[in-house]
Amino acid sequence: METLDFLMQGFAVALIPESLMFAIIGAILGTLIGALPGLGPANGVAILIPLAFSLGLSPTSSLILLTSVYAGAMYGGRISSILLNIPGDEPAMMTCIDGYPMALKGKAAEALAISAIASFIGSFIATIGLVILAPILAKFALKFGPSEYFALFALAFATLGGITGKNQFKTLMAAALGLMIASVGIDISSGVQRYTYNTLELFEGVDFIIAIVGLFAISELLFFIEKHAGDGLKKVAINKLKLTMGDIVKVLPTSLRGALLGFVSGVLPGAGASLGSFISYTLEKKVVGDKGEFGKGDTRGIAAPEAGNNGAASGALVPMLTLGVPGSGTTAVLLAMLISLNVTPGPMLFTQNADLVWGVIAALFVGNLVLLLLNIPMIGIFVKLLSVPPKYLMPIVTLVASVGIYSVSHSALDLYFMVGFGVIGYVLRKVDVPLVPVILGMLLGPEMEKSLRHALVLSDGDWSILLNSGLSIGLWTVAILGLVLPVIVGPMVRAKMSKSKEATSS
Amino acid sequence: MRLNDRVFGMLMLILAVVYGWEATQFPEPFGGEESVGPETFPIILSFFLGASAIYMMLKPDPDEAWPVLPMLLELISVVVAILVFAWAIEPLGFIPAAVGVVTYLAWRMGADLKMSLIIGVSSSVAIFLIFNNVLELALPLGLLEL
Repeated sequence: METLDFLMQGFAVALIPESLMFAIIGAILGTLIGALPGLGPANGVAILIPLAFSLGLSPTSSLILLTSVYAGAMYGGRISSILLNIPGDEPAMMTCIDGYPMALKGKAAEALAISAIASFIGSFIATIGLVILAPILAKFALKFGPSEYFALFALAFATLGGITGKNQFKTLMAAALGLMIASVGIDISSGVQRYTYNTLELFEGVDFIIAIVGLFAISELLFFIEKHAGDGLKKVAINKLKLTMGDIVKVLPTSLRGALLGFVSGVLPGAGASLGSFISYTLEKKVVGDKGEFGKGDTRGIAAPEAGNNGAASGALVPMLTLGVPGSGTTAVLLAMLISLNVTPGPMLFTQNADLVWGVIAALFVGNLVLLLLNIPMIGIFVKLLSVPPKYLMPIVTLVASVGIYSVSHSALDLYFMVGFGVIGYVLRKVDVPLVPVILGMLLGPEMEKSLRHALVLSDGDWSILLNSGLSIGLWTVAILGLVLPVIVGPMVRAKMSKSKEATSS
Repeated sequence: MRLNDRVFGMLMLILAVVYGWEATQFPEPFGGEESVGPETFPIILSFFLGASAIYMMLKPDPDEAWPVLPMLLELISVVVAILVFAWAIEPLGFIPAAVGVVTYLAWRMGADLKMSLIIGVSSSVAIFLIFNNVLELALPLGLLEL
């Protein structure tokens, strides 16, 4: 019952007016960010970090703001899936399958309402799961020594490509690049300058927030211009909402199943929200069997993936908060936020910063309620904003991102770096090297090196310490499986995903 | 064509070698040799980067098309525009610099010139006012100070 006490304390933090305000602002911004194709959740959160930073928000307020954005983005992703047949973010892909046909039948408002309810159930159940699982995992993680942590970091990189990852070597390359960028600067334990070339600005290393905004936001701008995507897309008109209690009851079991599956795939390394929504959808199709009209606009076909990806989004916070090891791009960006606020995630977070953690968890509950309330009556406003073409929006987003970076240190040099990272991001995306492992490498680099050093100091230079406990051997095994399995299973899962997508678009 | 991955792999291999070699040249830390010095981790990294670079050259994925020359020049012009904006914030002031960059970007993304200018001016002034007056983060006025 200790947990319940903590949760109550958390609500005390989350329900003060300031926190509520940030939760609402975050929810609105997040929905917009999720809804706009191309401006993914990781991107959106990244742009907001320097702003939160330069405003001098407290760690709790910043984290409440950004987790609400994160939760909101998962809600928002469905809007463009249903109305445009284009997922706002990757996990919303499965929502297109039944959402768009429903919209074509003139039931766009119902599709949006049902998906909002399913999203709410998904997040709600998964947040309860987070409340139960996180303290247990945090306690367990206290047993981790440096060699276990080193193995855990390796595991995070190995599974980051996910079961659906295309080229494991490119993930590896991206991770190595990120870790290499992290090694620039004065070495913390020996004081030796590494790769600074006596440039004063590099002594403290490369600021990862600048890198994140450059890699995501600036490279996105370049892609938009290259693809002439400035005009936006045609969308289905929205009708007047006619939703009965029966419609809601019909999707309840579906949403519950989706929420649980989503949560599990969010917690597991390498699974993530995309797989969560895919598994939920496939399972639902099996459970309902021939009675359903999947692919032609079945409400259960919307509820399942939405509950799944929202469940996974909350589930993904479990490893990020308890172990300090994020499993997805967006949680990696949230981790960046924590690190720059001088809050060290990991098992100690739950004892040292109990207020913060539980405040954020409570804020997730509050944010979800806000999102549900926002998303049903105010859906029309979001849809209107969605029709602002990118040619007006992207330049403004770029300006806001740059001002955010500039206002942190008032130096033009930071902006030059941001643009430099933007160009690097563009090239990396052109050669299909994923960007998230680069970010993760930059974030985890210092910790990973530190745990390697600690382990080897303890063993007096004997490298076998890295494999000396059952736990670390287990972690290494999962890491190796995470690298090898996608080579075998990946093509099969991907083929299935695209098959079910094609079956509907044809 | 599978040239992209081969060329990029080659570049990364060079980077791996240079990075790893430089790591061996670090000065010995104060207090003498340790079992894990500042160079250990970088050397491991250079090995991983090198291995994946070699794999990339041996088994390249199909190419994604690069933009044609006019588009490439356009992208470069966009990059230069943001750099000029970054440079101009202090000497010229935030509003003139931001109007310039937003108008240019909107125009290059396909908005007509008049609309771009409206977006540029309104967003720059709005952001300036929000930052200076609401959020109290001073942005330089520059030329407008006179």
